[in-house]
Amino acid sequence: MKIDLPAREKVYRKNSGILVSLHLDGWLLFGIFLLIITGSLIVFSASGADQEVLSRHLVRVGFAFVLMLFFAQIPPNILKIYTPWVFGIGTIMLISVLLFGDIGKGAKRWLDLGFFRFQPSEVMKLALPMMIAWLFAHDSLPPPNKKMLIGLSLVGLIAGLIIVQPDLGTSILIAMSGLFVLFFAGLSWRWILSAIGLVAASLPIVWNFYMYDYQKQRILTFLDPESDPLGTGYHIIQSKIAIGSGGLEGKGFMGSTQAHLEFLPESTTDFIFSVLAEEFGLIGVTSLLLLYLFVIGRGLYIASQAQENFARLTAASLVMTLFVYVFVNIGMVSGLLPVVGLPLPLLSYGGSSLVTLMVSFGILMSIHTHKKLLTS
Amino acid sequence: MGMKNKHRYQTESEIFFQKRLFRNRIYFALGFALIFFLILWVRMSYLQWVGYKHYHSMSEGNRISVEAIPPVRGRIFDRNHILLADNQPVFVLKFSKDKIENLQDSFSVLQDLLPDLPKERLSRFFDRVKVASKYRPLYLPYTLTETEAARFAGHSYQFPGITLVAKLKRTYPFNKSAVHAIGYVGKINQKEFNQLNESKYAGTDVMGKLGVEKYYESVLHGSPGLQQVETNARGRVIQKLENVPAKPGKDIQLTIDIRLQQYIEKYLDGKKAAVVVTDPKTGEILAYVSTPGYDPNLFVDGISQAKYQELLKNHNRPLINRVINGQYPPGSTIKPFVALAAIENNIISPYKKIFDPGYLEFKDHRYRDWKRQGHGLVDMNDAIAQSCDTYFYELSLKMGVDLIHDSLYPFGFGHHTKIDLYNESVGILPSKAWKRRVKGQTWYKGETIIAAIGQGYFLSTPLQLVKAISIMANRGEVIEPHLLKDKEYIKKEQIPIQNIENWEKVIKSMMDVLHSSRGTARRYGRGLPFKMAGKTGTAQVFSLNEGEYDEENIRKNLRDHSLFIGFAPVKKPKIAISVIIENSTLKAAPVAVDITKYYLTELQDEN
Repeated sequence: MKIDLPAREKVYRKNSGILVSLHLDGWLLFGIFLLIITGSLIVFSASGADQEVLSRHLVRVGFAFVLMLFFAQIPPNILKIYTPWVFGIGTIMLISVLLFGDIGKGAKRWLDLGFFRFQPSEVMKLALPMMIAWLFAHDSLPPPNKKMLIGLSLVGLIAGLIIVQPDLGTSILIAMSGLFVLFFAGLSWRWILSAIGLVAASLPIVWNFYMYDYQKQRILTFLDPESDPLGTGYHIIQSKIAIGSGGLEGKGFMGSTQAHLEFLPESTTDFIFSVLAEEFGLIGVTSLLLLYLFVIGRGLYIASQAQENFARLTAASLVMTLFVYVFVNIGMVSGLLPVVGLPLPLLSYGGSSLVTLMVSFGILMSIHTHKKLLTS
Repeated sequence: MGMKNKHRYQTESEIFFQKRLFRNRIYFALGFALIFFLILWVRMSYLQWVGYKHYHSMSEGNRISVEAIPPVRGRIFDRNHILLADNQPVFVLKFSKDKIENLQDSFSVLQDLLPDLPKERLSRFFDRVKVASKYRPLYLPYTLTETEAARFAGHSYQFPGITLVAKLKRTYPFNKSAVHAIGYVGKINQKEFNQLNESKYAGTDVMGKLGVEKYYESVLHGSPGLQQVETNARGRVIQKLENVPAKPGKDIQLTIDIRLQQYIEKYLDGKKAAVVVTDPKTGEILAYVSTPGYDPNLFVDGISQAKYQELLKNHNRPLINRVINGQYPPGSTIKPFVALAAIENNIISPYKKIFDPGYLEFKDHRYRDWKRQGHGLVDMNDAIAQSCDTYFYELSLKMGVDLIHDSLYPFGFGHHTKIDLYNESVGILPSKAWKRRVKGQTWYKGETIIAAIGQGYFLSTPLQLVKAISIMANRGEVIEPHLLKDKEYIKKEQIPIQNIENWEKVIKSMMDVLHSSRGTARRYGRGLPFKMAGKTGTAQVFSLNEGEYDEENIRKNLRDHSLFIGFAPVKKPKIAISVIIENSTLKAAPVAVDITKYYLTELQDEN
């Protein structure tokens, strides 16, 4: 079927060539590419020049990239239509994980569908913010308080389902992606500040009654890693040694003694940043932070250019979720934050989080390239 | 619910307000991200810029570990450069406790892999590893055969923290021979570990425990070297970086002649006996025999409890070092020294004859001579040659115990001989002061009588006896018996001589013990190609180990000890000897004569 395109878009396409016809954003793609290349190099180095690890990583990157391409082709309107369904199915899956889920590392996180094992919480990273954006799609911002409350209770429901798996870290991060939608929708500052106050006040209660010992231990270790240098604090200490010993210029590519001599745990996944910092020093770290900032900035620009609530709220919250992941991971490996098992977006050895991330980039690109032509 | 305004169009002002609100929130988010990235950047600068030095050195410390290279222990040779203590390369297992993941599992797999390894020893070692310090490597006290070593190497991946290493193990090629002089090395125990200089013993887990191995520990041990190696987090060595070689311990040469030593040991096989042979001119100990002995090789890896108990309970007491710790009544062997003291102090003329009816009556007590019918009229020469007790009973009453004490003291009785071994016993040279000090009692004259024939309180070690006879052979020149060949003495003492004729007279009497028709050892002196001076003795049993004998052994063990001291040739002494044979029908005199003959005829040419 031949679609008759509006005249301006035709012209736009002619000028921008293949990227536009594939619904991709050049700047965003540029940033993603640089990050993935960097990540692949560090994975290669951290694995001790293991080509097999590198090729497995690249296969996953390729798969995620195809998914990104796929989602970039779906216009936001269609995504909006499917959002409640995906959210509904995701919620059901979260409940069934609690009832029938596999136990991996002591927590029920995995759902085994016979041919496929995955974490429903991964779906929720996208489905929850999109659902709340869907909720506010046709309101003028800020939406009425009643709707804000509905959004908030959805956040509470999903976070609650994940927290009992138990997976505190993921639960907080997913809750944040939902809360970002509320923030961008115009949640009043008074509410925001009082919510922050409430959370701060309830922390001691959570600590005493709702946290598992291993979670408490992580936080205690974070506060004083040297108290247990060979136990749980070991990872943080070794990671800080890796980062600090990188100095200004680093030890050079493939020069991470901390990773090669196995002092650094999870050097291709959660602690990949430490390897980069050790090999490329403060110069490399600064470049990486600037690169992330560039991707985040481009993402926020895309959000600001979006013309519909669903699109702009989705875009903005996905970008800020990316920011939170980057900040939490780097904060963790540098000893600013407690250890939570969280990969560094686009750099860590490919896992399900890479897939989710690339899908969200696909959605961002779709939002940017499927704009209605509005006068004014 | 929210759906009902789905199709309501927004007003212009709503659109404007909404756009402004969203743009503000985007700006805020961007600022938020910027600030938090700035925090990360500051943190990174702090770690990589300010903290670089600190973390760099920590990273190096992580990477580089220092391993001690144990020094090669000095070897021990006899006086003819025959090896007495050597180091042999063997395969052992080194346990680095900090790298072992599961101690219990490792041990049970190891048990399966090495079925010949005694279970008891492994479990004892397991208990040791459990309590040991995390960072001090321990060696399993078991020497792997080549097959076992190969088998372990094939399975080494199952044993993180346990590595196969070649180590030098102390070995004693002559086994039992001279064990009481050489001693042995053994595992450093906790008490020793707390006392020693830890850096000097890095990488070493044995040290000298007894004998010269202990006495010359500081010479033999050397000092460890260091090797910097790059290790991974599991402690596996990736590459070697820098190397400070160990300083090996010095080899030492002993004065012992292992051929003489073995000749004596073979001669006395199965006996409880002690023999010390010296070169009287220098004090060099040519043979140091205490039988029965034991195999020092058993102790190097740590002896099993059962074997140790066996040695400990053996009623012949092989572990006792009879030469320095066997304290025997010297008996008649001290008579020449008492006689010399008497004539040097003009107590009696050597020609004065005393009548011996077979006993001495003193204060209603009859002190018997060993010869019931008595020796008749005897002078000093007869009294020594025939070992007449009564003569010395009489003499002692004239001298008093303190003169005997003061005269015998310079010959080495009652105090350390200064031999280069630890834990020497000093015996007892009784005196009035001694009795007051030790027993809190006054001295009785009757006690002087028996002290003069080396009984009663008098105790001496075989080493003290050989020292005394060496001094006699030297005509008063004091020597210190020693085991280290190169040992030098700054000052040589000389016992003041009143009249050298007196000394020659006593020595002549001692020669008559072997070479006159009435000497107590005339049977053994007959036909000797050289002249020998000596003195026989008998010690009433003063058991080393009272109360430990079972009934059957009592009779045998109540037999007297037989003693002999002597030197030869008389004119120019080359050998001095003391022999003690416990509870035996075998006499000490023929043993001493045979040893002397063997030494002077078979070995002299080379020495």
